[in-house]
Amino acid sequence: MKDISLGQFYPADSFTHKMDPRAKLVLVIAFIVMAFLAKNFLSYFAVLICVVSATLVSRIPIMKVLKSIKAIIFILVFTGILNLLFYNGETVLWQWWRIKISVEGIIFSVKMVLRLVLLVMGTTLLTYTTTPTAITDGMESLMKPLKYIKVPVHDIAVIMSIALRFIPIISEEVDKIMMAQKARGAAFDNGGLLKRAKALLPVLIPLFVSAFRRAEELALALDARCYNATPNRTRYKVMKFTWRDLVGLLGTAAFIVLVVALNNNFWGAYASPASVWWLFSV
Amino acid sequence: MRIEVKDLKYVYSPKSPFEKVALDGISFTVNSGDTLGIVGSTGSGKSTLCRHLNALVKLQSGEITVGDIRLNSKRVDLKQLRKNVGMLFQFPEYQLFADTVKKDVEFGPLNFGFSQAEAEEAAKRALELVGLDFDEVASKSPFELSGGQMRRVAIAGVLASRPSVLVLDEPTAGLDPVGKREILELVTALKSGVTDTVIIISHNMDEIAEFCNRVIVLDDGKLIADTTPDELFNRSDIVDRTELDYPHTVKIKRLLAAKGVDLDTPALNAKELTSAILRRVKG
Repeated sequence: MKDISLGQFYPADSFTHKMDPRAKLVLVIAFIVMAFLAKNFLSYFAVLICVVSATLVSRIPIMKVLKSIKAIIFILVFTGILNLLFYNGETVLWQWWRIKISVEGIIFSVKMVLRLVLLVMGTTLLTYTTTPTAITDGMESLMKPLKYIKVPVHDIAVIMSIALRFIPIISEEVDKIMMAQKARGAAFDNGGLLKRAKALLPVLIPLFVSAFRRAEELALALDARCYNATPNRTRYKVMKFTWRDLVGLLGTAAFIVLVVALNNNFWGAYASPASVWWLFSV
Repeated sequence: MRIEVKDLKYVYSPKSPFEKVALDGISFTVNSGDTLGIVGSTGSGKSTLCRHLNALVKLQSGEITVGDIRLNSKRVDLKQLRKNVGMLFQFPEYQLFADTVKKDVEFGPLNFGFSQAEAEEAAKRALELVGLDFDEVASKSPFELSGGQMRRVAIAGVLASRPSVLVLDEPTAGLDPVGKREILELVTALKSGVTDTVIIISHNMDEIAEFCNRVIVLDDGKLIADTTPDELFNRSDIVDRTELDYPHTVKIKRLLAAKGVDLDTPALNAKELTSAILRRVKG
């Protein structure tokens, strides 16, 4: 249960944990761009190195990061197989009706899967090293320019943090209600699909009732404390851009340059042996 | 029903940075007929301990025997266990769900294999036991009722299955003084029927002093005392260490003692204390 209360946050004392959440958000976006820029296996390899080194710097067990892939295993298999079967390649190995497997198709689907894996690994690093509150604060700060076109940035941030704050509360509540109904003999884990769905009613109804009650109480509490009375609130935790963030930005920028360079075989700056050349070309 | 807990240990989120030992080597026995109070500060493991008693949390290490059901054996008859051990959670009114009071109270009995007629009979008895008029509330929605009535319905929902052991997790939290008394007197009244053993978690020492014949004290997951209320409130080391309070009766007795009036009876509830004082005044 405790795992949910802080999202995926993995407490550690590391370089990345101490970085400014805004910088981390920007870096994650840069990383996503980088992963989409990568064209050949060597540049994918560079992206992989980037993820692995970021993980090492964050002092998060590599197994923990790999575990996050488990959540998208279905998507991976699905995209992998679809691309494999329907990619319109030239070197056809096997064909039946509209399904064909080609060398290009194999390479393409391997790349797709690889890209998804890298994307998930990189982005989960953000949630592993940053608390949900810090992420919302960072987002609010980054969205500030939108204030000038009358976007209620602060309200959006408050809504986000309330939603995040309530996830653990509600999940605890689900746990409690389930226990209470189990104590009254309810069984949630046997019977067919319909029976199981019906068995959940005694949990869902009290849950909704209490969610509405909480929402009402929270609205009252916000009102009672004059929510939005002052336009510019100060913060307890002030975000600061430090040398760590600069290092992070420079490092990521260097990786992006490397990926682009590898994509283009260093613009023919040196001749490479044929075997390596093949890696550049696929 | 006799309950035996031996060397119970429980760890939350084991092998993670959030690891927390909730219970550490707890052993005690509850005899048939006991009213056992469990006290301790917030987070001392009281609720976790109680949830073990009808297998709502999985036993990690140690032994629990409830009646003749052993919780560590491979196949535990959960239905029978949970029928025997009724559990009332904190703020039980938040677990009501059915569209009528009757259906909500019948939920437990029907799950435990009562027939429709038996369940209806059980619901009727339970509702009357908690002081509600069956004909008046049975067809109402539980959400129409007042807070106090909702709690009574929730209690009836637990009592309807006729458990032999009743576990109450802060049954009086959030009630007014009259409501508190009524709930506890109800529990005492129950003990002359099917339910012979009651376990109460409470922060209110007046309740513990008045209603329990035994009390165990938890501190940071460890059992630090297994005694009677009278003895517990004589041991200021334990009471102060766990930031418990003294019941009003004990406070009054101490004030009297400071003035040189020693009462030699335990007198832990208001009635006994009053008559002890009167005896002293007259005598």
